[in-house]
Amino acid sequence: MASFEVEHIVKTFGSQRAVDDVTFAVEPGEIFGLLGPNGAGKTTTIRIALDIFKPDSGRVAVLGGPMSEDKKNRIGYLPEERGLYQDIRLEQCILYLATLKGLDRHTAQTRMEAYLEQFDLVAHRRKKLKELSKGMQQKAQLIVTLIHEPELLIVDEPFSALDPVNTQMIKDVLREQRRKGTTIVMCTHQMNQVEELCDRLVLINRGRVMLYGALDEIRRQYRSHTVLVRSLNGLPDGLVGVERVEPINGSVALHLRPDASPQAVLQELVQRSVQLEQFEVALPTLDEIFIEVVTGKETTA
Amino acid sequence: MNKIWLVFKYEYLRHVLRKRFLLGLLSVPLIIAFSIGVGFLSVLVTVDTRPVGYVDEAGIIRVVPPESLKTLRAYPDEAAARAALDAKQIQAYAVIAADYAETRRVRVVAMDASMMDDPADEVRQLVRQNLLLDEDEQIANRLVAGPQLEIRATEDDRRADERNVLGMALPIVAAILLLTVVNTSGGYLMQAVVEEKENRTMEILVTSLSPEQLMAGKTLGNLSVGLTQLGVWLGMAGLGLLVVVRFLPWGQNLNLSPAYFWLTLLTFLPAFVMIAALMAMVGATVTETREAQQVAGMFSLPLFVPLWFITPLLQDPNSTLALVFTFIPFTAPITLPLRAAYSTVPLWQSALSVGLLFASAIGAMWLAGRVFRLGMLRYGKRLSLKEIFKRS
Repeated sequence: MASFEVEHIVKTFGSQRAVDDVTFAVEPGEIFGLLGPNGAGKTTTIRIALDIFKPDSGRVAVLGGPMSEDKKNRIGYLPEERGLYQDIRLEQCILYLATLKGLDRHTAQTRMEAYLEQFDLVAHRRKKLKELSKGMQQKAQLIVTLIHEPELLIVDEPFSALDPVNTQMIKDVLREQRRKGTTIVMCTHQMNQVEELCDRLVLINRGRVMLYGALDEIRRQYRSHTVLVRSLNGLPDGLVGVERVEPINGSVALHLRPDASPQAVLQELVQRSVQLEQFEVALPTLDEIFIEVVTGKETTA
Repeated sequence: MNKIWLVFKYEYLRHVLRKRFLLGLLSVPLIIAFSIGVGFLSVLVTVDTRPVGYVDEAGIIRVVPPESLKTLRAYPDEAAARAALDAKQIQAYAVIAADYAETRRVRVVAMDASMMDDPADEVRQLVRQNLLLDEDEQIANRLVAGPQLEIRATEDDRRADERNVLGMALPIVAAILLLTVVNTSGGYLMQAVVEEKENRTMEILVTSLSPEQLMAGKTLGNLSVGLTQLGVWLGMAGLGLLVVVRFLPWGQNLNLSPAYFWLTLLTFLPAFVMIAALMAMVGATVTETREAQQVAGMFSLPLFVPLWFITPLLQDPNSTLALVFTFIPFTAPITLPLRAAYSTVPLWQSALSVGLLFASAIGAMWLAGRVFRLGMLRYGKRLSLKEIFKRS
């Protein structure tokens, strides 16, 4: 049973179709990337899933059924638009929002103590939020997102405007959550973070699904049919299946014919006693795939 | 239900425990008490407590009532009285001329003409009492007291008499107090809604509880802040009234009809909700507190309109103007109780007015809920009217 599932959802604002027939499912316990350029429809998709917006058509299932008030207590959401009550004390703010997630006051208090300790905020607990630095406010926001121990965690652009220290902190938190078995949906346009963290992903552009699947599969699917080779004694000429040879920065890129396989080329190289230092099937980075999908072919789903 | 309570508690305590609120709560009655006190003080300072002298050339004063012994002083002739006046021992003196029986004339001499009224009264009373000495005591007393006008309403026991100043002023004071409370509560509510858009807490909130729960908690919380304010003020006013009734003679025949109280309650309750809902709606459509405050005046201003027309309304509580104000939901909360306090309002008019108010309150709540749902996550764009009324 998927933790989070949308099927053929459509949402139009005025004349603009923000989400157009989007379908994907998030499996329990994985980190799932919801990718797309700015304005692609990621946040709208999340808001539909969380019942903030109603879709024009389509079906949404969260934690095994339609969204309900009880389920809100089992979901943690870090919105893209960050912000907390500015005019009240840090601990008061965390406690209020934690009790709104269904925690009783005692549990909220105990967990808050632990989190304040973990995020180094104990000394600031009595300060008003507007007196805290941006980094501290981000940590406070994270505490609010996690304090009720959600089964499903939805984080929207978690790394935007963060310095490297805080970026690392959020990554650590997300990994820790995955270890605990929390399902995580991460909306972002920062591909390097996705490559580092996500198991599977969906890529949306202009409201439509462009790519969907496991990270490795997608990269294999988009491999350029090229192998990178570095040898100590040079490469022989006339390798079977090789269309073109291109020297790149000390190594050589062998562009293969469509019917050739990297495996056959490797076999031939070994047979011809080439001393290999490197043999790598060139997989594109997610960044390259992203740019290719978004700028190049917009018609395939 | 539990979450409504949490929101309610948060919104209520947030305002009530603030220094600003407590200051505002205490400052209004204190300012009123202070200005009343200053008024009394200025009267006390200007009142002349020196006795009034009289020269009885006609020989008609045979008895001076014991309560007048301190305020009246007899002189054998005008020269002695004049000397006392020049020495500032008395504030004025009266000469009851020898031919009083024919002329019925009393001459009052004072240093300051503006003080003429009170000393003359004092002497007039004395002359009256003495002239009536031979009459039956009851008749004498009645004649001395003079007539007192009392206007009675035709259908019940309400009456307005000259001495019931407090009863006349009360509906107006109540109206102003209630308007202030409606405005503060509505203002708090609006602020509370805009604030969460401004600081972006809205998304966390709507993924924690339903927009309906959030709105219910907020509305109840902020209305309770207003009611607390009203309660404290009314409590203080009640205390003040007790003092007035206890120590001031004209406070004792304070008299207002129960109809007035019921109508006040029935008009202010829906008006309260209507204004609060409209202000919350404004909060949901705009994105900044400052912008919201500018728009909010639009809703609270019409409430005050009847107070600008208070004179024509009181002169003719059944005029066309009064009728029109009764049936406009914004002006009804002041107009209807005011009319009921000073005249007889036909039942159908009261019923229609209150009915319209309740309908408006429900309509405003529906509108606010809808606008809130549509507008809660809009940061840049404002909602258009078309969107609000579009079916979805």
